[in-house]
Amino acid sequence: MNAIILSAIAGVVMMFSGIFSKNKHALTNTAIAGLLILLIGNILDTYHVYTITVNTHDMLHFDKFGASFNSIAIGATLLYVLLSGRDIEKVGVNVAEYYALVFFALCGISLLSSFNSLLILFLGVEIMSIPLYILTGADKKNLKGNEASLKYFLMGAFSTGIMLMGIALLYGATGNFEINPSQSLINVPLTHGILGPLGLLFIFISLSFKVSAAPFHFWTPDVYDGAPSVFTSFMATIIKSAGFIAFIRLFSSRSEDLEVSWQVILPLVIVATLLIGNITAVFQQSVKRMLAYSSIAQAGFMLFALYGSNDLAREGIILYATAYSLATIGIFAILIRMKDYTFDGYNGLAKKQPLLAFVNTVFLLSLAGIPLTAGFFAKYYMLASAIKEGGHSALWLVIVALLFAAVSVYYYFRVIQAMYFKDGEAEMSETNKGFRILLVIIACIIILIGIYPSLLLDRLYF
Amino acid sequence: MNGLSLFLDVNESAAVDYFPIAVQLIFAVGFVVTMIAVSAWAGPKRKTSDKLETFTSGIATHGDARQPMAVKYFLVAILFVLFDVEVIFFYPYAVNFRALGWDGFYAVLMFVAFFLAGFIYIIKKGALDWEG
Repeated sequence: MNAIILSAIAGVVMMFSGIFSKNKHALTNTAIAGLLILLIGNILDTYHVYTITVNTHDMLHFDKFGASFNSIAIGATLLYVLLSGRDIEKVGVNVAEYYALVFFALCGISLLSSFNSLLILFLGVEIMSIPLYILTGADKKNLKGNEASLKYFLMGAFSTGIMLMGIALLYGATGNFEINPSQSLINVPLTHGILGPLGLLFIFISLSFKVSAAPFHFWTPDVYDGAPSVFTSFMATIIKSAGFIAFIRLFSSRSEDLEVSWQVILPLVIVATLLIGNITAVFQQSVKRMLAYSSIAQAGFMLFALYGSNDLAREGIILYATAYSLATIGIFAILIRMKDYTFDGYNGLAKKQPLLAFVNTVFLLSLAGIPLTAGFFAKYYMLASAIKEGGHSALWLVIVALLFAAVSVYYYFRVIQAMYFKDGEAEMSETNKGFRILLVIIACIIILIGIYPSLLLDRLYF
Repeated sequence: MNGLSLFLDVNESAAVDYFPIAVQLIFAVGFVVTMIAVSAWAGPKRKTSDKLETFTSGIATHGDARQPMAVKYFLVAILFVLFDVEVIFFYPYAVNFRALGWDGFYAVLMFVAFFLAGFIYIIKKGALDWEG
């Protein structure tokens, strides 16, 4: 509850501080303070120290899983603002509003991690997405950004319509909006009639759009490429993981209602996502665009959590969200400072900035899933959950995923190759000491989780 | 009724109840199509250049509608919609004022407070300064 209320208030406070202060650094510091308060409030919530209690009429359900994810999302946002705050200040004049929108998106995320009613799912998705439509077009003078913003808005509006249709059909099938109906209500099983499965399919389509899974991914490269790089970083990491949390909360509680047909649809979507994301990423010339396609490919891996939807999957998605968010935020923080976004722009970075090249390598290795980094265990948990759920019938899916993970190594290593083994003048804007120290800390966290994943996963239970 | 259900090929008797609606739909569409067709076929045709122009209540047309408009018009329109919708929310509250009790009152108070914050924000931002 704390996270929802505090993030909404922090957003309003940010809006007003923009009126009273024109000092951009001060605004960034206000946002950092707000995020810290939000993080503390959420941790208090996790350990049942309630400061605010509201009767939610069973529309929200708070548990360790959701609260842990909130902490990760807020913590990742904090790191993101600490790293890229200076770049957010450079996007335009309305700095306070950018931060306010980030807070509002966090409010949507905390709704998504605790919803128990389809209405709250809808509200959460909307509160999370609408700030993004604006942030995508934050750079008003950039024609590409405007195009991306409009595209994102129109397609997002359509996907929302599909979700509403799905919710209406589910309501028709069950007679209530709750995903875990309380005992007093007569629980009509979903398998009766076509309405329930069809409704779930519609919601599945809409959420697949939000997390850019394969047949609904077409907006991703354009939007990620057109948006200001700082906001692409936010969209590709924190928002995407939040979409998956909503996905898992919905589908794990409905899993017994999911009929055999889901065992056909879900693998198809996973394979298509992995195929399109990885193969297209290979042909990219711009690192930013490559990261957009790689985020589609990573979404393919995260979809395994849906296929598994058991305890391993829930642990895995927390691990994956952390590993993926941290690594991608780090890569983007370095990318934003580069003069040239193409692979050639990274040529010879290792000679000029050995430290930055090294941490960038750690992040890329983690994304590729090389052992001793967090990305390895993230992928491991995902595949293990699929095997645990599906047994031998899931084996082909796991093999396909491993093949595509091998493909992904190619394009991630192209950046490393450019940094270390190619001669060139990688040009980069100035970086201060704090920026470098933070990147090293993030790299350390990634390696630490890669060695002891239980450090993070124990938080789910204790 | 038996003949009707055979004609429509429906199993449930409830579906037969929709038959009058179907008849009305067919009649409505048929009437419109027929009237337009008949008037186009039977009516006199005297085409003059004035008649072929866009109808603008007798005022001479000038230019086309696709001109750039100042953003401030849209801004005011959007803000109007916002505050209009706020008032709409008061109606159901007013109807249930007694039943909702103090809890409802606090909820509405919070709603108004958020709205007021938004109102102060747009005033301070100068969104309503027409000349600015």
